[in-house]
Amino acid sequence: MKTFQPTPLFCCLIGALLLAGCATPASYVDPSSSRMITSVGKIDVQDFGNAADTMVNSLIDNLINQNKLQSGVPSEPALLAISRITNNTGSQIDTDMLVKKIRVALLRTGKIQTTTTMGLGGPEDPLAADQQKLREFLEDKKGGTRLPDYTLSGKIIEDRARAGSIRQSAFIFQLSLSSKAGIAVWEDEKTIVKQGSTPAVGF
Amino acid sequence: MRHALHVLASVGTIAGTLLLAACSSMNILEPAQPVAQRTMLADKRVITDTGLYSRVRILGVNTATGPAGFLKIQVEVENTTLSRQAFTYRVEWFDEQGMIINLPTMTAIPRTLEARETASITATAPTDRAKDFRIKFLEPTN
Repeated sequence: MKTFQPTPLFCCLIGALLLAGCATPASYVDPSSSRMITSVGKIDVQDFGNAADTMVNSLIDNLINQNKLQSGVPSEPALLAISRITNNTGSQIDTDMLVKKIRVALLRTGKIQTTTTMGLGGPEDPLAADQQKLREFLEDKKGGTRLPDYTLSGKIIEDRARAGSIRQSAFIFQLSLSSKAGIAVWEDEKTIVKQGSTPAVGF
Repeated sequence: MRHALHVLASVGTIAGTLLLAACSSMNILEPAQPVAQRTMLADKRVITDTGLYSRVRILGVNTATGPAGFLKIQVEVENTTLSRQAFTYRVEWFDEQGMIINLPTMTAIPRTLEARETASITATAPTDRAKDFRIKFLEPTN
């Protein structure tokens, strides 16, 4: 009786089929979980959340919770405008990934609101800006638009280092809150450092 | 015999060096009589990851409320092992009716403790309506 002798080609075929069958299917991941992928060379989504959380905590601790926040209109929350947030990293990032999280958290405090009709480079919401101008024209408002009480500016910096096969990327988030007088009434910095080994091939 | 002793001494030296390199612990100095008065909170713990809990022990929680009414919490954790431990934590806040306050800044925050290190994790409520909180400690998976 002839026994079955698997050829090398047969073994390769079986191996390829097994590998294809063992591929991990795509699945949803909760963005606030610890299962997010951590990459060394770029700012991950969870890094923006981490930095925003630190900044908001600091703002609340040092300014809002100390009753140091001042509004131009006493019965209303303070008005915030977003100024320049500079990206000094090697990647092209949308700084709104940081700023929007901060804005949402500040809005939820009930103490700060952000203007969408005034900002560096033009209004964030052009239709709201036009509506505001039209309303002021129709109401013959002499006082003009309410100016922001505070402006938020900052910078994101990247620093890279390498030791043997270990590479390190440090992302430094710097933010300042300036008053109408141009004085920084709040400032903070958050550094996120990530390390990983370099692959055998590539970067 | 002499050769065997020599080999044993060399192996012992190498093993000792490796052990010392792995044990990155620290020495701590603090006031014997702390001036600060902490308001400690009675807490409820649900332990499902006994491994993590045995390595990173929660010592206690204290709270404070600022002048504007925002709650602030501080959790003291200790690495009970002789090696560096990594974990992540996430803080959830609840309003006076027990409803969770969802924010885009809610994320799992990574933290590392050196051998036998005690550290404080602080978090501030996102609104003055936040009256309760929950902290989740997780193993890092990446």
